[in-house]
Amino acid sequence: MTMAGHDRSSLRKVRLYGVLIGLLGLMMLPFYAMFSSTLKPESEIFAAPATLVPSDPSIQAYLQVWTQTDVLLWVGNSFIISVGTVVLTLLLAIPAAYSCARNDFVGKRTFLLAVLVVQMFAPVVLIVGLFDVITQLGLFNTYLAVIVPAAAFTLPFNVWMLYGYFKTIPVALEESARIDGASQLQILTKIVLPLTKPALVASITYTFLYAWNRLLFVLTFLTDSAKYNIPRGVFSMVGALQTDWRMMLTVSVLGIIPLLILFAFLEEYIVAGMTAGAVKE
Amino acid sequence: MSLAEEYTEASDGSRLERGLAYVQRNSRAYLLIAPAAVFLLAVVGYPIIETFRLSLYQSPADSNIETFIGLQHYVEIFNSDIFYRLLWQTGRWVVAGVAGKTLLGLLIAVHLKGDIRGRKFFRTAFLIPWGIPYAISAVVFRWIEHPQFGYLNAILLKLGIIEQGIGILGNPSLAWLGVVVADIWIGTPFMAIIFLAGLQSIPQELYEAAAIDGAEKWHQFRYITLPQLKSVVLIATLLSTIWTFVSFDVIWTMTGGGPISSTATLVIHIYQVGLQNGNLGRGAAYSVIGFLFLLVFAIIYLRIYTRGGDEL
Repeated sequence: MTMAGHDRSSLRKVRLYGVLIGLLGLMMLPFYAMFSSTLKPESEIFAAPATLVPSDPSIQAYLQVWTQTDVLLWVGNSFIISVGTVVLTLLLAIPAAYSCARNDFVGKRTFLLAVLVVQMFAPVVLIVGLFDVITQLGLFNTYLAVIVPAAAFTLPFNVWMLYGYFKTIPVALEESARIDGASQLQILTKIVLPLTKPALVASITYTFLYAWNRLLFVLTFLTDSAKYNIPRGVFSMVGALQTDWRMMLTVSVLGIIPLLILFAFLEEYIVAGMTAGAVKE
Repeated sequence: MSLAEEYTEASDGSRLERGLAYVQRNSRAYLLIAPAAVFLLAVVGYPIIETFRLSLYQSPADSNIETFIGLQHYVEIFNSDIFYRLLWQTGRWVVAGVAGKTLLGLLIAVHLKGDIRGRKFFRTAFLIPWGIPYAISAVVFRWIEHPQFGYLNAILLKLGIIEQGIGILGNPSLAWLGVVVADIWIGTPFMAIIFLAGLQSIPQELYEAAAIDGAEKWHQFRYITLPQLKSVVLIATLLSTIWTFVSFDVIWTMTGGGPISSTATLVIHIYQVGLQNGNLGRGAAYSVIGFLFLLVFAIIYLRIYTRGGDEL
């Protein structure tokens, strides 16, 4: 490579990283606004115009938040709702996906396409009808009032994800286990599911995030503040006249920390899940 | 033996008996999908039917008395100015949101495509806005856009662009822009990740051949990248259109549809009328209109998805 060519390519590199870091900075700005505000004392947070850098950063807000808000309760409820949704969804999705991957039967195509259509059916346009179902089932103000609809709307992703993966596992593996006298359940739990790990992790992460992040169901079906999750808790702190911004933003930071940990470890599975339906090989 | 042949296989007895025999032969397969199928019928199928039924009734949430009124809700909706205003507000919300997410997502993806050091870090970082609670993103943007204490005003004042703080979310003609920015921020990572995956599936040889022919970067993008990316862009923007159309949490948390309903979209109106004001029947009628939009999107999606033969 000539000198000029080398210079040009390193210049291009600099420009590339420059643009990337610029874009990342732009996307990170809201996080900066959120986090830096939580480091300000009460007097500074209500300064007009805002100070862009905290003049005297302190972690006071993070010490007060435990007693001044119900953040622990909300995080706990978020976990209950997310884990409950994951369990219910998997219990329904694994058998269905397995059945579709291993058998050919009339109605399979209809079932799979119908499931795909559910994915398009956003809960908010169904909320009036759902309200009826939840009340009739006597679920109003129970965790299940949120878990049941959340499971219904994460089921499609789970079924398709697992179905696609089950199909890639050779039937021969299962047959040899059967000859060795393994039961159907043993085959599923000891042989098939361990091999399905990437799809399972992607499904679980997707479902967990879905249930953790959504406000709509909690807003509509849980009026009991002892069952609020993080989004609902944050929403409840928005006052008509007065909002304790400092505490609200501190709760927000705490509410996304578990997710950041999740992203750091499971990024590849999340990306695999996101691209599953959209990018055909 | 194909499925159809097996099904119509000559056997004595009526259609019903043959059907039952078929189900029996495949009973395990049906038993395994039954829980999921029944669950979806109960939690999604039934509410759909219930929504259609309710839309024909005068049905206040606080009483058990329902009065059948036929299509009156629909007639009133189509004759009201609110409906057309909602359509316009929903339209601009979707178009601006999807355009913003697509362009920003494409910009990020194109720059992440090459041989980037620390790509995993960048990809993870870009992903975060998509994966955190919408309500949290919404309050953060509310804070940024706060008329007195917000960072946005502080920056604009510092740069000398404005002389006095502006209240974006309190201004009926600006508020929707203040909300759409938050929605774009949330929706961009999905587009970036999808586009990146699409870009990475384009054969590198195409670029090499073009480079030998002396094609400019822009021409490579225009004549290789875009055509190769077409189907990915199509599906991603379609999905994004659906999600933007039904976006609820962000608007609800930032403005609740106000001021003076200027940020209300069709789905916000469904919630306000059906659940907040407790007019279930009218809310249901608006929902049915929402179904129709989603149905069109779903048909297009299934067309694209099942194109190229039977892949199930």
